[in-house]
Amino acid sequence: MRAGAAGRHVALRPAPAMSEDRVIRRPVLAAHARYRWDKLRDQHQLVFPEGMIVLNDSAAAIVQLCDGRPTDELIAALVAKLKEPIPASELSDDVQGCLRHLVERGLLRDDAE
Amino acid sequence: MTTLNRPLALLAELTYRCPLQCPYCSNPLELGRYRQELDTETWIRVLGEASELGVVQIHFSGGEPLVRRDIYDLVREARRLELYSNMSTGATVVDGTTLDRLREAGLDHLQVSLLDTDPDSNDRLAGTRSFDRKREAVRGAKERGFPVTLNVVLHRQNLDRIEDVIRIALEWNVDRLELANTQYTGWAFRNRAALMPTRAQFEHAQAVVERARSGEAARLDILHVLPDYYQELPKACLQGWGNVFMNVAPDGAVLPCQTAREITGLEFPNVRDQSLQAIWTDAPVFQRFRGTDWLPEPCRSCDRREVDFGGCRCQAFLMTGDAGATDPVCHLSPHHHLVGEALKEAERSDPPLQYRVMSV
Ligand code: SF4
Ligand code: SF4
Repeated sequence: MRAGAAGRHVALRPAPAMSEDRVIRRPVLAAHARYRWDKLRDQHQLVFPEGMIVLNDSAAAIVQLCDGRPTDELIAALVAKLKEPIPASELSDDVQGCLRHLVERGLLRDDAE
Repeated sequence: MTTLNRPLALLAELTYRCPLQCPYCSNPLELGRYRQELDTETWIRVLGEASELGVVQIHFSGGEPLVRRDIYDLVREARRLELYSNMSTGATVVDGTTLDRLREAGLDHLQVSLLDTDPDSNDRLAGTRSFDRKREAVRGAKERGFPVTLNVVLHRQNLDRIEDVIRIALEWNVDRLELANTQYTGWAFRNRAALMPTRAQFEHAQAVVERARSGEAARLDILHVLPDYYQELPKACLQGWGNVFMNVAPDGAVLPCQTAREITGLEFPNVRDQSLQAIWTDAPVFQRFRGTDWLPEPCRSCDRREVDFGGCRCQAFLMTGDAGATDPVCHLSPHHHLVGEALKEAERSDPPLQYRVMSV
């Protein structure tokens, strides 16, 4: 196979400029991205062709709910999981920030668009 | 002290057999020497060992991985082990049944190579009629919900059609487009003078890709791998030797890099004799260029040494005869003039392509 096959190169993929106030309404994980728990490393991972990112606990919880449901419902589901519930409005910015980051990396899309 | 990471990726080259004859193929020049392929049982064992060692992704490749009859069993095993599975195919042996079976076995992602957007040129470069089959394979894969990456290796003979490449990627409705400028190892090194783009070609292509990214192709995830002969700094080849990557070749040899066989004097361990774990930790060939302690000057005293690890070992060897030298692509390398000379030679000449031999 061609030599590009295994991430031998550094690829140039600038994050597209995305405005801070963009709101993601129906996040769906990209078809080529898969969440996985790595038991050897004790890590949440989001794996995609030739790469992977390590997720913290909250990002992992978010990613696992990105199935096309509206973001409001996603946040409600997160709140329901918390031991000490906080108002959904307090989570909203953090969730949107995380979703935007994943969209920028091509790992998530907004089904509402 | 260099700490030993667990490997993240395993490139499983199942066979060197291939119906295509791409002139930039990274398979070894002496293909005939490696006809003894591993059997299914051994591959299954290797997948298990890879998983225990911490590998996250398996990339089934070749040659054409689909000429192996046991491919579905191997994909299924990768799935069972919860490994992310990729497959690179030339797509000439793909039909609906193949795709259904791959889907059922749990393949995560399919990469289809395209040599050129002009069907005749594609078929000429591949050494066989394949354009229509590739298009059909992509269509079938998308119908079945596979994420598909279209891989186009760029070089002098197709770079001027970069606009068409993007158009086709959109028309064929792929998810990702990998535009990789040729890396000059393997067959591509032999064909360097015929494949090397001109600076004008490469700059044009770069501008086109940038425009497409923010315009009509915004929904496409485009990976653009720049031609390193036109760069001042080398690539962090595989993120360092023996750091995150290992390659099991069709005969069972384990390589720190898929083109490492080009470096003479290295001895490669084999999964027939040893476990992957033992190879990763102890095999001299994996330790040889691991970390940064082995680096020569000017890398030794350069603050980019943890970034690029001195560049590509195969390239250093092919160009300077010393696999332990700084990658000549680096402007600080004492051999950097070799890059300029190669570019000049490519501008002057237009030799015929030599095609890889050994078909299915
Ligand atoms: S000849 Fe082409 S398709 Fe076949 S293995 Fe080489 S690069 Fe891949
Ligand atoms: S001198 Fe070595 S470490 Fe520094 S940039 Fe060049 S190749 Fe990289």
